[in-house]
Amino acid sequence: MFRKGLMLAFFLLLNACAATGVRETVQNKELPRQHELTETPFFPQDLYHCGPAALATALNAVDIRVTPNQLVPEVYIPARQGSLQIEMLAAARRHGALSVKVAPKLDAVLKEVAAGNVVVVMQNLGLSWAPSWHYAVVVGYHLDQEKIWLRSGTFERFEMTLSTFQRTWARSEHWAFVALKPGSLPAGDNPDAVAKAIVAFEKNSNKQDAYLSYDAAVKRWSNHLVLLMGLGNSAYALENYKQATSAFRDATIAHPDSAAAHNNLANMLLMQGDASAAKLAAENALQLAGADPGMRVQILKTIEEINAYKLKNPQ
Amino acid sequence: MVLVKRFFSAFLAASILFTGSIQTVQAAMISSEQVAEQAFTGSADQDRARIITALSREDVQVALVERGIDPVQARERVASLTDEEASAMASQIENAPAGGIIGAIVLVFLVLLLTDILGFTKIFPFTRSVR
Repeated sequence: MFRKGLMLAFFLLLNACAATGVRETVQNKELPRQHELTETPFFPQDLYHCGPAALATALNAVDIRVTPNQLVPEVYIPARQGSLQIEMLAAARRHGALSVKVAPKLDAVLKEVAAGNVVVVMQNLGLSWAPSWHYAVVVGYHLDQEKIWLRSGTFERFEMTLSTFQRTWARSEHWAFVALKPGSLPAGDNPDAVAKAIVAFEKNSNKQDAYLSYDAAVKRWSNHLVLLMGLGNSAYALENYKQATSAFRDATIAHPDSAAAHNNLANMLLMQGDASAAKLAAENALQLAGADPGMRVQILKTIEEINAYKLKNPQ
Repeated sequence: MVLVKRFFSAFLAASILFTGSIQTVQAAMISSEQVAEQAFTGSADQDRARIITALSREDVQVALVERGIDPVQARERVASLTDEEASAMASQIENAPAGGIIGAIVLVFLVLLLTDILGFTKIFPFTRSVR
């Protein structure tokens, strides 16, 4: 009798505090009611190696062939018996995937899954004072059943209720990311996150992949300063000067107060032999740079080059 | 030793300040990274942040080796981080959650079993949460 009472009390408690965000997600009309990426490969984890296993799952899902064992020396830290979030993102990039953080909301994760992107999540399967940090890959969900499925640990199709998932995931502050092929974009509408991701990606990627990523992103978010500048710079790196010029010009139109946009446009105009237009753009840039010392140095260099060109090619 | 370290820091700081952005394809072009830095962080502290970052890359590499990683691997791992990530790593490497699984479980087995059943945690694959 007492036990029954206790259970009842617990149920009442639970009803009072169903995991936040779950109800909104279940009622979200924009999400397909259910979706599962059944083709997602599975790599059962060895002891402590959920990081490499989850990463291998995500990378192989976008046809980047790599095994967990290959990833161990890239993300695992023996003394910590685990992998850090930052290195998970970096290791995905090392293998040629664009890693983009997903907004810290349950529907954002499910939206990616519905769009065909598996999502790497960090969970604390234990409690805050007895943590059990774990990486897993969300591959499917069913809103009416309030279920979510993951490639997790040694389980190929690990089932959780949305509520339990939400609670275990909330403890990592809802940390999640997608690993994408260059040229594809996450489903979520967060151009800043994508811009940040591509800037980090291009540090070690080949020029073509960086260009593809910027190009795809600009097609979707055509007024974003960082994306436009990235498109211009990556087109320039591929010696595609025409597209570089037009990207920088678009940047100066969408962001007339960006010194960087005017400066890079000036460089492109100079390369194409239009010294007077270049000079105008560079002077604009200098004015916009204000007191920023680093920027001024670079713009003055541009002006110097323009002047040198003018001396050599008097009209 | 202190002097050497200080000299090294100053040298590093200077070389970073004067090279400007490493990413620029041509000296006078402004890199996407620079634009992003300005767009996403206040421009005031950028140079200072860059110095701290350069120092923290060293720290992170040392810290990784100390934690059992091969020095060559450690260098590659640090090289794949962005500036922002490197400085975050430097401060987090000891305390940030490391996804591995599963620490002091035995001790709290019963508690976790109960919380599992209640759907607050999910340690044991055989539990079915009541919700």
